[in-house]
Amino acid sequence: MMKKGTIILVAPTAIFSAILLYLVIWNAVMSFMNWSLLNSKPTFVGLETYSIVIRTFQFTNSLLHSIELSVILVVIGNILGIFIAALLYFLNSNKARSTFLSIVIYPLSISMAVNGLIWLWLFNIHIGVDWLLVRIGLPQFPWLSSTSTMFPSLVLVSVWAYTGIAALFYLAGFMNIDKTIVEAARLDGTSAFKILYKILIPNSLNSFIIATALLFLFSFRIFDLPYVLSGGTTNIFLQTSELYMYYLFTVEYFSQATAVATMITLIATIIIIPYALTVIRRWIRR
Amino acid sequence: MDKKMRPVIKASLHYLALAIVSVIWLIPVYAMLINGFKSNFEVLSTPVLVPPTKITFEAYVSVLLSLAKPLINSLIIVIPTSFISAFLGAMGAYFFYTLSYSFSRASSAISDVLFSLISLATFIPQEATLLPLTRLIVSMGLLDSYIGIIFALLIFYIPTGALLMSMFISVIPRSLIEAAKMDGTGDLKIFMKIVFPLSMPGFISTLIFIIIQAWNNFFIPLVLVTTPGMKLTSIAVLSYSGAYGTLYNDTFAAGMVASIIPLAIFVFLGRYFIRGLMALGGGGKGV
Repeated sequence: MMKKGTIILVAPTAIFSAILLYLVIWNAVMSFMNWSLLNSKPTFVGLETYSIVIRTFQFTNSLLHSIELSVILVVIGNILGIFIAALLYFLNSNKARSTFLSIVIYPLSISMAVNGLIWLWLFNIHIGVDWLLVRIGLPQFPWLSSTSTMFPSLVLVSVWAYTGIAALFYLAGFMNIDKTIVEAARLDGTSAFKILYKILIPNSLNSFIIATALLFLFSFRIFDLPYVLSGGTTNIFLQTSELYMYYLFTVEYFSQATAVATMITLIATIIIIPYALTVIRRWIRR
Repeated sequence: MDKKMRPVIKASLHYLALAIVSVIWLIPVYAMLINGFKSNFEVLSTPVLVPPTKITFEAYVSVLLSLAKPLINSLIIVIPTSFISAFLGAMGAYFFYTLSYSFSRASSAISDVLFSLISLATFIPQEATLLPLTRLIVSMGLLDSYIGIIFALLIFYIPTGALLMSMFISVIPRSLIEAAKMDGTGDLKIFMKIVFPLSMPGFISTLIFIIIQAWNNFFIPLVLVTTPGMKLTSIAVLSYSGAYGTLYNDTFAAGMVASIIPLAIFVFLGRYFIRGLMALGGGGKGV
């Protein structure tokens, strides 16, 4: 049997985790109820709220945005992450390596709200980066001023913000590969490019899994960035599921908000639990 | 091509590629650095990528006046939140470590469930708990209070602390702890006397990771604060978004004031933050 001291150790973590679980379950239960400002006594309605909400344009639109953003970020983040990690791997100085690594990771230390504010000005078509593009003879890019380039602009900022995660894990993966193999290949005159795709990349499956899971989870929960870039929750070109859910809350469509929240939680959980139990935890239980 | 020239060309291409990546990545922080020092007059005539001709503090003075209270609020929230989360999380992490001793089915099931829960709390989109969280905090009478915001943050960051600390505690040699157990020392005492002191670098990584996350947290103060006096920095900066006829020197100065603490931590203690980030992926072991 466990001693009292052992129980005290885990009590805070267990209690706060249990509160989180309570919040998630409460959400799920309420999503089966009919509940709004006008209807203060919740009654059981089964899947009715879900069937109403998934038929709305805003739901599919915002869910598509969330999934598109995550998938695009996973693809670009992995490719760019490998590219940057390779550039860093072939540096000879450890100091230069960690400096350049810091440069691609620093966006994660600034709040996404501030990042959003900065990019709002950089996306200004008169005085932002367009000013430079026009000066060097490139066409002006409309960024947030045109509905068709709004979403790509959000993707660009997300790539800038989160690619560092992928670069970090690929670099760690590359560094763990037996140096003697790489050295031998270099002495044979193998090009760096060939070393990258013959030795480094094939041995980086774990880095790929971690980078993919984390890029997905970080981009799927993105809220502050589109909130700031679109100046609120209602811009349908930048609305993600989280923004739509928050919008439903602000207009007091509580049942629909809980239904969307439950679906968001479910999608995230499908990734989180297997990732946690297989990838993270095997390094603890050994 | 001359054979001797090729390594030189390769090295320059290598550095050119790194320079391009770095310049692109640094544009936003460069813009933030230079534009806060522009005068209101200069802002009207210069683009954001051009440095100021004269350094002025107009923008910083006006921004600091309105951000002073939010900065203090953020400090009052973030310092206790991060220390409590990292420390209580470390205790929980040691519990996982002790569970990994016994290979009984029950303890492995407990460990699986708890570990899934702390991972869920770490990675869940916090927005998805909007309604029940708001309701919980309101029913406790803690809306618009420091305690309420700290409590809400702890729901996510104590599990984060436990997850990160699990990674750092797992490298402590088992023999040390077994020796103490032989002497009949209780787990709580072992944690305080052996595990916690030995995992200090990991604790600092966890602490710094949570400080930066909590400082930058946007969603919880957005929904749990309704009075202007309780605003946190991450929300207060929104009033400098370009939409309200703001001059951009104010926006960038506000961004700098709001980011100076996490940025300074990143510049001086970045390796700890990066170690914390790596713990989210199994600590970089075996990748």
